[in-house]
Amino acid sequence: MLTTAELGRYDRQIMIWGVGEKGQEKLKQAKVFIAGVGGLGSPVSMYLAAAGIGTIRIVDCDKVELSNLNRQILHWDENIGRTKADSAAEKLNKLNPWVKIEAIAEVITEANVSQLVAGFDLIVDAMDNMPTRYLLNRVALAMDIPFFHGAVSGFEGRTMTIIPGKTACLGCVYRGRTTPSEKFPVIGITPAVIGCIQATEVIKHILGLGKLLTDRLLIYDALELKFTELKVMKDPDCEYCSHLVNKD
Amino acid sequence: MSIKINIPTLLYQYANGQRVVEVNGSTVGECLNHLVKQFPNIKQELFDKEGKVHNYLDIYINGQSAFPEELIKPVRDGDELHIVLIVHGG
Repeated sequence: MLTTAELGRYDRQIMIWGVGEKGQEKLKQAKVFIAGVGGLGSPVSMYLAAAGIGTIRIVDCDKVELSNLNRQILHWDENIGRTKADSAAEKLNKLNPWVKIEAIAEVITEANVSQLVAGFDLIVDAMDNMPTRYLLNRVALAMDIPFFHGAVSGFEGRTMTIIPGKTACLGCVYRGRTTPSEKFPVIGITPAVIGCIQATEVIKHILGLGKLLTDRLLIYDALELKFTELKVMKDPDCEYCSHLVNKD
Repeated sequence: MSIKINIPTLLYQYANGQRVVEVNGSTVGECLNHLVKQFPNIKQELFDKEGKVHNYLDIYINGQSAFPEELIKPVRDGDELHIVLIVHGG
């Protein structure tokens, strides 16, 4: 049940056809897990908090560094040295005190990932490395939790939505491959766009509106201001999802 | 045959700043070789020492993956190739 304050707070989005009070209640009941609160996790968590997602769990093991501040807009100068999880939780609580923010400063590992995501409806990939993305992809498939992928470098980004047992997964796209270097170039506007698309997909999924970005890898080219859709087929030999029974 | 290759932002510095390059060829491999002929510096960004496409790079033909054996995949006049690198940043 939405309170009078919530009805006022979300008035403009409740006005949208297909949202309404019923949709807002769905957002309030939703529990979203966000892996990483850096460049992607900042806009994802801010827009989901602002929209009234009831429970948001943010997990990030890193501490805020000076070189993060060009893009990780939840973290400020005064937060350098503090855990990103705590720094993000403080801002998100101020942004919207009506949502529950759970901040966990831990490394996501094979040993703890199932426990970390247990009870959550959706998983957002806002990570900065491929091995953890594959780990999240695997647990999302195993626990039947929709998974929202995003990645960036420089002026480019990619994003795709994965519905376990129905659509292509991260393994179908990248086939378990990783990238050669750890330190990547990036400017804040790129994860801002990709993170907003991920948040959009999360909201659409919860509300049951529109067409999800499934079986399509969206490539964002900021320099040409161009979006390119690449078709992704479900790989029958995918080491991550080929064993799942097709829900279609 | 005229094929367009879309150069990603991460590689266009090796193509003299060009984002779309017209090449000739009847396979993906021939097209990439023609790209390298025009811009030799891009070769090491596309191929490993054995001449295979780098493991962290994919080629799409008209929006569909050319994997596996992408280099021998045929292309037709007017086709469009995309070079897509795996990126891990967040």
